[in-house]
Amino acid sequence: MTHGDPIIQVRDVSFSYNGEPALVDVSLDVAEKDFLAVIGPNGGGKSTLVKLILGLLKPDAGRIRVYGEAPVKTAHRFGYVPQDVNINIQFPISVIDVILMGRLRYGGRRRINRQDRRKAFEVMEQIGITGLEGRKIKDLSSGQRERVFIARALATDPDILILDEPTASVDTSGKTELYHLLGKLNETKTVIVISHDLMIVSSYVKSVACVNQGLHYHPSNEITEAMIEMGYQCPVELVAHGQPHRILKPHTDV
Amino acid sequence: MFNVIEALQFEFMRNAVFAGLFASLVCGVIGSFVVVNRMVFLAGGIAHAAYGGIGLAFFFGIPYIYGTIGVSLAAALLMTAVSVRAKSRADTFIGVLWAVGMAMGVILIDLTPGYHTDLMSYLFGSILAVPSRDIVWMSGLGAVTLFITIFFYRDILAISYDAEFAKLRGVPVNLLHFLFIALVAVSIVFIIRVVGLILVIALLTIPPYIAEKYSRSLMVMMVLSVILSVIFNMTGLWMSYTYDLTSGATIIMVAAAGFFLSLGADHIAAFFQKS
Repeated sequence: MTHGDPIIQVRDVSFSYNGEPALVDVSLDVAEKDFLAVIGPNGGGKSTLVKLILGLLKPDAGRIRVYGEAPVKTAHRFGYVPQDVNINIQFPISVIDVILMGRLRYGGRRRINRQDRRKAFEVMEQIGITGLEGRKIKDLSSGQRERVFIARALATDPDILILDEPTASVDTSGKTELYHLLGKLNETKTVIVISHDLMIVSSYVKSVACVNQGLHYHPSNEITEAMIEMGYQCPVELVAHGQPHRILKPHTDV
Repeated sequence: MFNVIEALQFEFMRNAVFAGLFASLVCGVIGSFVVVNRMVFLAGGIAHAAYGGIGLAFFFGIPYIYGTIGVSLAAALLMTAVSVRAKSRADTFIGVLWAVGMAMGVILIDLTPGYHTDLMSYLFGSILAVPSRDIVWMSGLGAVTLFITIFFYRDILAISYDAEFAKLRGVPVNLLHFLFIALVAVSIVFIIRVVGLILVIALLTIPPYIAEKYSRSLMVMMVLSVILSVIFNMTGLWMSYTYDLTSGATIIMVAAAGFFLSLGADHIAAFFQKS
């Protein structure tokens, strides 16, 4: 692979759940150190696309390559933050044990050791949740829980960070902070963020993919008039909150 | 205290104590796994379907243990396969296997001439009639359960909490899931033999349910469940000996008392927290 090649290649991929099409003929390239926002309506196939890229689902048709390999072989290079961080909330587990999950089978099956714990504390500090390690996951606020899951993803030392709606349970100031953090992480990692609340409050986003069965890719964080005229089909109010600050009104399907 | 020492003079009582401790160990560990994975219904299904194995064993004149292990393993794997493939239909399917297993057991025993096993002893077990050779089997199973749990602890924790993430980390999720369900099935068979099917369900669920609330990790939950289980078992056994009551039912009543006490304590604690 030569420099500048996309690290994720999605080619003509289709996927359906029990005959119900979720994605149809989708193609996407993600470049190294990209900060991609995947937006689109609920049920539009955003999470499905991400799960295909992670190798958790297999496409019905088409091909996906991550670093030139099948996704299942590269799963360990992803740091994944699932959509529902409140799943299994009653589970008797502490913050540190959730984060240490990110060190599981790191370099083959072995016991969790001191380096793993050091790494866990390192990412906790990075993410601003130092001191919570002994707390039960159930006793956290959803904002804190979100951070724990991001810390778990970072504990895997990922090359690509994928977050499925990380701002859903976070308040506005938390969102700004979170995107600031993601922007910082983006200096060394490729970042993919799914969002259905279409306020992508971010000047950090470098490109946008609109997913609604089909996929429309925009290689910048601004939506231009020309793009709308080209008829990108997301019913979207996209905010490109950088320079210039611009809010677009919803558009109708073409 | 005197009558405890007196009671332990009898071999059957020593075996009963040992069987109770064994059941506590396995139920505490396996039960915690069952409860955090919300698989109580599946465990119930396995336990009931195992009765089909008893019928099978009597009908074909093969040893009891092969019949029950065979059928409960088959039922467990089938139920798990359905749960993995079609989650939404799993509870119906488990319900069907549950009933079919029991019905098959009853009919096969009807068709077997001569000896008829007592359904009551299957339901409530006979902890006071555990033969010494079973103690050996139990020790073995207890050791295997402990070993597998400790060896795969982090993997099992990850699978139970977030299977998708575990899969991304390269944990063989389905394989370990099946392995653990198989362990649940085999454990259930052995415990049914000593304490009966109803007590299995009670011991698999009540101690872990109480323990879960006070535990900050799955390991703590398992240890606490084992301790609670031992208390329930030994108290029940002692009461059944002292007051000449059916042992299995007495143990269940003690466990149930613990369950309601813990519920009550939670409500009182919540009340004081509010005011």
